[in-house]
Amino acid sequence: MITAGIDMGAQSVKVVILDDGKVLNRSLVPTGFEPMEAAQKALDEAIKAAGISRDDIKQIVSTGAGRKSVTFADKSITEVTSDARGITSLHPSVRTIVDIGAEEARGISCDEKGKVLDFAKNDKCAAGSGAFVESMARALEIKVPEMIEISLKSTKDAPINATCAVFAESEVVSLIHSKVEKADIAHAVHDAIASRVSSMVRRIPIENDVALIGGVANNVAIVDAMKKHLEVDLVVPEDPQFVSALGAALAAAA
Amino acid sequence: MTTNMKYKSKPLDCWQWGKELRLEAYQDLVTGHEQGKILILGCAATPYGILAGLGDFVFLAGEPYGASVAADPPFSIPCMEAFESRGYSRDMCGYMRNFLGSMYLDKYYFTGGNFPKFDFVWSVRHCPAGHPKWHQLVSEYQGVPMNYIDDETMLSNDGDPQHRLEYVAGQYLDSIEWMEKVTGRTFDDEKAIEAMRNYFRNESLWGEICLLNGAVPAPLDIKSLFALMPISMLRRHEAVATQFLETLRDEVKDRIDNQIAAVPTERYRMTMLTPPPWSFLKIFRYLENFGVVFVGTYVYLINSGEVNFLIDEGKVVPATVPEERPGWPEIKNREDLCRTVARWRSEHPFQSHLDTRKKEYVIIFNQWKGDAYLLLLNRGCVPMTTSMYDFQRDLQSHGISVAMFEGNFADCRDIDETGVLDRLEAFLEGQGIYKMADA
Amino acid sequence: MEDKSIVRAIEKFEEILENRHQYARDWKERTGGKVTGWLCTYAPVELIYAAGMLPVRILGTHEGQDVTDRYLFPTVCPFSRDALAQGIKGRYEYLDGITMSRTCSHVQGTFDNWRNYVPTPFIHYIWFPCHRESSRAIPCLRGEFSDFKQAMEQFTGKNVSDEDLDKAIELYNTNRNLMRQVYKFRKSENPPITGAEAMEMVVASQLMDVAEHNKLLEDLLAELPDRKLDREAGLRLMMVGSEMDDIVFVRMLEELGCTVVIDEHCTGSRYFWDDIVFQEDRLAAIAGRYVTRWPCPAVSSDFNDRCDRTIQHAKDWNIQGVLLYQQKFCDPHEFDIPSLQEKFKEIDIPALVLEFDVTIPFGQFRTRIEAFLEMAELEVF
Repeated sequence: MITAGIDMGAQSVKVVILDDGKVLNRSLVPTGFEPMEAAQKALDEAIKAAGISRDDIKQIVSTGAGRKSVTFADKSITEVTSDARGITSLHPSVRTIVDIGAEEARGISCDEKGKVLDFAKNDKCAAGSGAFVESMARALEIKVPEMIEISLKSTKDAPINATCAVFAESEVVSLIHSKVEKADIAHAVHDAIASRVSSMVRRIPIENDVALIGGVANNVAIVDAMKKHLEVDLVVPEDPQFVSALGAALAAAA
Repeated sequence: MTTNMKYKSKPLDCWQWGKELRLEAYQDLVTGHEQGKILILGCAATPYGILAGLGDFVFLAGEPYGASVAADPPFSIPCMEAFESRGYSRDMCGYMRNFLGSMYLDKYYFTGGNFPKFDFVWSVRHCPAGHPKWHQLVSEYQGVPMNYIDDETMLSNDGDPQHRLEYVAGQYLDSIEWMEKVTGRTFDDEKAIEAMRNYFRNESLWGEICLLNGAVPAPLDIKSLFALMPISMLRRHEAVATQFLETLRDEVKDRIDNQIAAVPTERYRMTMLTPPPWSFLKIFRYLENFGVVFVGTYVYLINSGEVNFLIDEGKVVPATVPEERPGWPEIKNREDLCRTVARWRSEHPFQSHLDTRKKEYVIIFNQWKGDAYLLLLNRGCVPMTTSMYDFQRDLQSHGISVAMFEGNFADCRDIDETGVLDRLEAFLEGQGIYKMADA
Repeated sequence: MEDKSIVRAIEKFEEILENRHQYARDWKERTGGKVTGWLCTYAPVELIYAAGMLPVRILGTHEGQDVTDRYLFPTVCPFSRDALAQGIKGRYEYLDGITMSRTCSHVQGTFDNWRNYVPTPFIHYIWFPCHRESSRAIPCLRGEFSDFKQAMEQFTGKNVSDEDLDKAIELYNTNRNLMRQVYKFRKSENPPITGAEAMEMVVASQLMDVAEHNKLLEDLLAELPDRKLDREAGLRLMMVGSEMDDIVFVRMLEELGCTVVIDEHCTGSRYFWDDIVFQEDRLAAIAGRYVTRWPCPAVSSDFNDRCDRTIQHAKDWNIQGVLLYQQKFCDPHEFDIPSLQEKFKEIDIPALVLEFDVTIPFGQFRTRIEAFLEMAELEVF
């Protein structure tokens, strides 16, 4: 049976098409201002690349912040559920999931079947999300990939004291004026995010294996910082930004 | 029409009567002076039956008024802004900001007319974050005298409470003398005792009603309980409240005998620990689409002395009125009354030490036959929120599922409604509860 | 002329602050005594001392931390979270006891979680009667102190005699008196001690054996009359507010062109301003002091009382500007700040309001303070 999962994220729409558990293809499209159009486009691209037709897909499940706006989905589930389904299908040993997305971070505790036991989320706070990385990169006048690269070369701590992402930005400006090295500032930004997220994750039981997923898990500097703050080794799947969509596609097949 | 109706349902027969009694209490404040009554402001936890010793009175509790305002965002937001524009912070008590803003704007919520002017303020230090200071602001603004009692006595299992009880009883006694001075009236001990006997009886009746909600299906849902609670909360000293509560109790028993449900699609029962987000009560209606019924909440419904927890037996029962408690004396005069009130207050569930309270949370959950707890991390109230994560872990250690969301019970600007519903949906999915197909 | 003793005293205070845990461990080894931590200045330090234990205030370290969100909701006061973090991180593993008086809900959270999650042999909660104006308060607190004394006796295995109490009362009264004398020097046009140094003195008093601290104070007082600081005094500033032990902040503040000449906070004057007045019933005497002392807003239910005393201090120390600060989310101070603003306005003293977190954004604070000082100087001159 062919199913599709659509993850309607704040920044991007991800689609995964499954055929009896095997990934046929995936796509990622920026959400932009017209989420429905983006969803349709993402689905169309994935279908085309998979070499199938729309009618071949028996069930579509949507997830993510904008899941209810996907009118062509048969069902929707929350990203908490889809994260857990998705990651345990790839790594059955995972019991704790940290998902850092563009605008939100969450910690999820699950069992071996991917059933959610408990979860925590950052509420109304961008300081533990991808948006923070991007706005700090803008403040440093570099692109995010460069920020990640130089962050790994940092030699000194440059603590970012403000807990709020908005204040942190002006703090970064102060650090730049004080001639602190960009590499050290970049490292401090990643450290601050990891600190915020770890703080939130500690509200749920942390049990090995711990997985890091979501688009921000592609940021190796974040991965490093999270390992340091949580004091655990992390499972980071390939293409972590698709895990939630995978979970939705699996839910569609259930 | 949903096909998931498991049970019969119908509105309460005494609903209209209840509504009238509740509104009368608030409207009485406007006509009180004309009727020769004295108007007094205090807290919900104040044993205001004592005031009957001065004659006829009308009592307003700040918190329920604040909650009523909070439930109406177009009225509430200007009130909160009026308070905050005087230099006060947004993270202060939500009830207070609504109440004081309403006063500063001189708009009384229940009539739209002028805000009532009290004869005096009689408060309790119910909350260390500032109840007396809240009331001091009223006292200074209206130029009326104020007295308060510091009486949240337990919170500690260290030491012997006897000197605390004497301290509290002594303050109540001193405040009676103070009331006589500020009003020029002579305090009638008998009238106060009679009013407080009604008070204790009505509290216990309310406790009985709340505990009856452990029946399956629940005869009442939380919204109805919230709507009816003010009768108990504000008219506890009155005989008419006894009549109403007895009628309500009998009707609830009848509903239980006949399996009449508050929510006909009931399949999942949730309880709370705190007051709800007053501006977002539709959360309860929304979750009925999932077959979820909320059967009760600890703080607000039963924390002010309506029930007795028998910790060692793991049970909770309606409160025994003081004079019927083993070893408690008959109340013959004001000294007896003050000592009884002090002791009775010290045994309020909410007064108990945190370790005891954790046990109470489990006991009431079992009484209410809950499937899960919903905890509100309330930005508007520090005392209620400080240990919430600890409570969560403790409940989970008892195998109880816990959902949690951040918000504000009295500040509508502080609730991300979509985010909250999202979070609750995620929780219910984990429990295998999805929105009903035809809801 | 080289001024050795004063440098020694102030340097010693700094050293204690930086090595507070080592000091406490050394004290335990030297004396064989136990150490009891306290969270709020309503803890009866005299009683703890009389019981043969070293009372130490539990303070934070102003470092970012990510351990307390599991226990305390984020909108709990940063000081409370910072203090709990120290316990969770094991920095107070040498503590034999912890005590707290019922005052503030935020730090109550610290205590409640410490009780459950930071193993400490002796834990005692003092139910503080907050109705200061009531004649019933002192007898109630006397009862609490009697229970506390008994609990400490059971823990240490040593009885607390009237002589022990007298000795402790005398030492602490001396300590307060000496610190008040140091504060008097700050009334002069060019105070011989900066605000940061004075704060170090007071914080050190909360971390050290009071007898040892008294000796340092005597050294300090011997040299202050001749001490000349190599700096411009600048604007005479008062600091009023919540718990404050961020010495780095106060140093930065004073580098911008002002001197903190007086304060009203609990690592400052509010801690030590009032003495114990002797009574035959020593516990009642101590209780009397704690009920009637300069009130913390978390205890007092009358904002005028504290605010009026604060204004008197402001006048007596002839200040030119006031920094009204609070720990973020601090309800008690949030009640008082608007009244304080009004009262300072009535006496034409400009006020700056700041909110503190565990760590502070120095960049933004510097800008605000500089702007405030410029504005205040314009008003003065």
